[in-house]
Amino acid sequence: MVTTMNTLNTNINLSNLKETLTDTFSAVELPNGCIKSENNTDSLGMQAKAVTDNILYFRVESDRIEPICTYIHKEWGYQLVLMFANDENEDELGTDLGYGLYYVFADKEYRILVTIKTVIGAAKPEVQSLSHTIQAAAGYEREIQDLFGIVPIGHPDAKRLVFHSNWPQGIYPLRKTFDVRSKLPMAKEEIRFRKVEGEGVFEIPVGPVHAGIIEPGHFRFSVAGEPIINLEAQLYYVHKGIEKLAEGQTLEKGLYLSERISGDETFANSLAYCQAIETISGSNVPERAEYMRVLFAELERLTSHLGDLGGVCLDAAYGFATFQFRMMRGWAYALADELCGMRFLRSVNTLGGMRKDFVKGKEASLIRQLEQIRSELEDTVSIVKSNSLFTDRVENTGILATPIAIDLNAVGPGGRASGVGYDVRRWFPYAAYDKLEVQIPEHNNGDINCRFNIKIEECFESIRLMVQAIETMPAGPVLEPITHVKPYHFAFGITEAPRGENIHWLMTGKNNTIYRYKIRTPSFCNWPALCYAVNGNIIPDFPLINKSFNLSYAGNDL
Amino acid sequence: MFNTLKKIIQYPRLTQEYPKIINSTANFIGQPVIHPERCCFCGACAQRCPSQAIAFDGAARRIGINYDQCVFCVLCEDVCQSGAIRMTHCFELAERSRAKLRPDGSVLTESAAAEPNTADAKPTLVIHEADVPAMADEALTGELKKHIMKVFGRSLQIREVDSGSCNACDYEINALNNPVNDIERLGISFVASPRHADMLLVTGTATRNMQQALVKTYQATPDPKLVVAVGACACSGGIFRDSYATNNGIDSLIPVDVYIPGCPPRPQAIIYGILKALERVE
Ligand code: SF4
Ligand code: SF4
Repeated sequence: MVTTMNTLNTNINLSNLKETLTDTFSAVELPNGCIKSENNTDSLGMQAKAVTDNILYFRVESDRIEPICTYIHKEWGYQLVLMFANDENEDELGTDLGYGLYYVFADKEYRILVTIKTVIGAAKPEVQSLSHTIQAAAGYEREIQDLFGIVPIGHPDAKRLVFHSNWPQGIYPLRKTFDVRSKLPMAKEEIRFRKVEGEGVFEIPVGPVHAGIIEPGHFRFSVAGEPIINLEAQLYYVHKGIEKLAEGQTLEKGLYLSERISGDETFANSLAYCQAIETISGSNVPERAEYMRVLFAELERLTSHLGDLGGVCLDAAYGFATFQFRMMRGWAYALADELCGMRFLRSVNTLGGMRKDFVKGKEASLIRQLEQIRSELEDTVSIVKSNSLFTDRVENTGILATPIAIDLNAVGPGGRASGVGYDVRRWFPYAAYDKLEVQIPEHNNGDINCRFNIKIEECFESIRLMVQAIETMPAGPVLEPITHVKPYHFAFGITEAPRGENIHWLMTGKNNTIYRYKIRTPSFCNWPALCYAVNGNIIPDFPLINKSFNLSYAGNDL
Repeated sequence: MFNTLKKIIQYPRLTQEYPKIINSTANFIGQPVIHPERCCFCGACAQRCPSQAIAFDGAARRIGINYDQCVFCVLCEDVCQSGAIRMTHCFELAERSRAKLRPDGSVLTESAAAEPNTADAKPTLVIHEADVPAMADEALTGELKKHIMKVFGRSLQIREVDSGSCNACDYEINALNNPVNDIERLGISFVASPRHADMLLVTGTATRNMQQALVKTYQATPDPKLVVAVGACACSGGIFRDSYATNNGIDSLIPVDVYIPGCPPRPQAIIYGILKALERVE
């Protein structure tokens, strides 16, 4: 759950903020957490627990969207962190029927989330595009166009995103009228790639099936000689329709789906999902479970980072270091096995806490194994750092400049290496993170070396946090089961996945089902950043740059 | 350099000797097993199973798990009031046909799979004839089979294809190359091109956007070739069954020789499956 911190600053800001938005843009503040205000009481007549003060919702007319969002972004410098649509054409949702469009801005300094909502009538599904002023909106607008059929007017390049040439025109799967089990005929549309022309410019298509054991995606490089001058990534090869699959399912089934969004971010995703539901139900997660969640989340980060470090070394043909990191990763997996019997930390979280007390009686052995990984990591890092051949290869390669990182809302290690010192664990603390002090490494050269160093430092920090969590974990129960949630209520779940900020938005339906589940993993933000970072580098460095971000295709494509 | 050498000497050998020695100390989650004699036929597990893997018919008092669909989530063990379901540590589950992974030996057809997928819908009991393409057997029968074993001998080149996984299965395949599993000791290695491959190791549900690439990769692999489906997704669609964007298992597109259940299967379960395809294990 997102907790209110910095109360003083927040309050000053909040009243100003509300006033400006309501006066200047005639925005109407909406109740936080539910779709209609009369829904805010459950059958016992109890007022739903207010989530926090610093998560705000405003409703504006659709022609006001562009000015208000531009104002928030330009004047206040808030980042657009999420944008999504919701089919609110069901009679039970009240009178404001249509497609709800939500624009979520974050003030990362003062921990404020402002959501601007507008409703678009089903008769004319279109809205003014924001992409000219807010670069980060471009991807979301294309996504919404594909899934909901809402046209972003004036979008600079509104080509298909989610669907490839095989999807028929005019069918939008996230509309409620679309049946999830429909099998549509394969259409034949053209896919248009950005053309770079000039003397000596070549196009190199790569994928979707790549040479290594990795996920599928198609890359179009335009090169002039060796350097890359443009890269366009065609993703969504592993689009499985997860958001649609979740709709109408029980909250319990949603949990297992959320665990399978992206393999090595299982815990971060299931935690964000649980967080959203726990916020809606207003229940308190037992303290022991909160500490245990820190332990698991950090173990996942450690495992993931060790894999990435090994991957960068492998692509730089540095065999010894690769196998060192892989060995340590093997140890981290063994630790997960010992903890919960699942290497990918599945079936660990449940709604309201943890499925079992996984830690009891294992404390000493866990700490011993963590110490072993830590000392091995120290030795390995000192050997790698003294290898100048390796350092030469990674230094000043694949630079993501700070202004671009900010514009594209680059998150996680990818953003932190470029001077964006943002980490959900510090700014929107969840689980027990507000009780543990999280050190956030910062580098600002934005090259592979910085991302490599960030990940190394975060590995040490993860180990430290895990040891601290084990040592300070209070005794007690680990689960406060949630059996019933109110219909048509919504909440955010925000966690720091190994790859960065992970935002889920969930709205409940009738009988403890899911009405809408919006997932935005860090990879969605960082893919465009990667495409920028490769510009000017030579093709043989692409795998290395790609590995240093190590983005998830599954988490992006959903 | 000195430090590098020191490390190499410090860890002379980490590799586990699977399949010669089975390292069973770890307390991992394996196959769920139902003991029908203890079952009270309340149907709670079948109703809540997230991948609808439990075939249940209360009237006929029949119950069983479709292991090609099970995602090993432990929920059924947790909800069973009478203790009839137990998670075991068994991971050697790979089979040459999908029917063998099902309690009554038949494979759900697409029409049966199209039952309503909502919270309160009853899962159907597995019925109907197999929808596995007949080629799967054909490719592996008689002379051809002997030929494959003779050709591949003790060495095998694998091309991995992710046809729409969550990436966990791919990470487990990756783990075959780490020092713990070191699959090259079994004469098995991964290659970059399907043209060099004897076997395709396929993960994922064969999404709509990947199905063409999967079929093309299959066609680009020279004959004789083996196909191994890794994980619940590739076997049956797993948790992503019945979506507009997925297929219920890769065998609706290409013939499959061995199915490895799991979500994801552990690296040793994948080794077992590969060896099974090569008939090096029974
Ligand atoms: S362990 Fe398998 S059978 Fe049991 S509930 Fe989970 S998916 Fe269903
Ligand atoms: S079987 Fe499970 S682990 Fe494997 S790809 Fe599918 S969801 Fe992921």
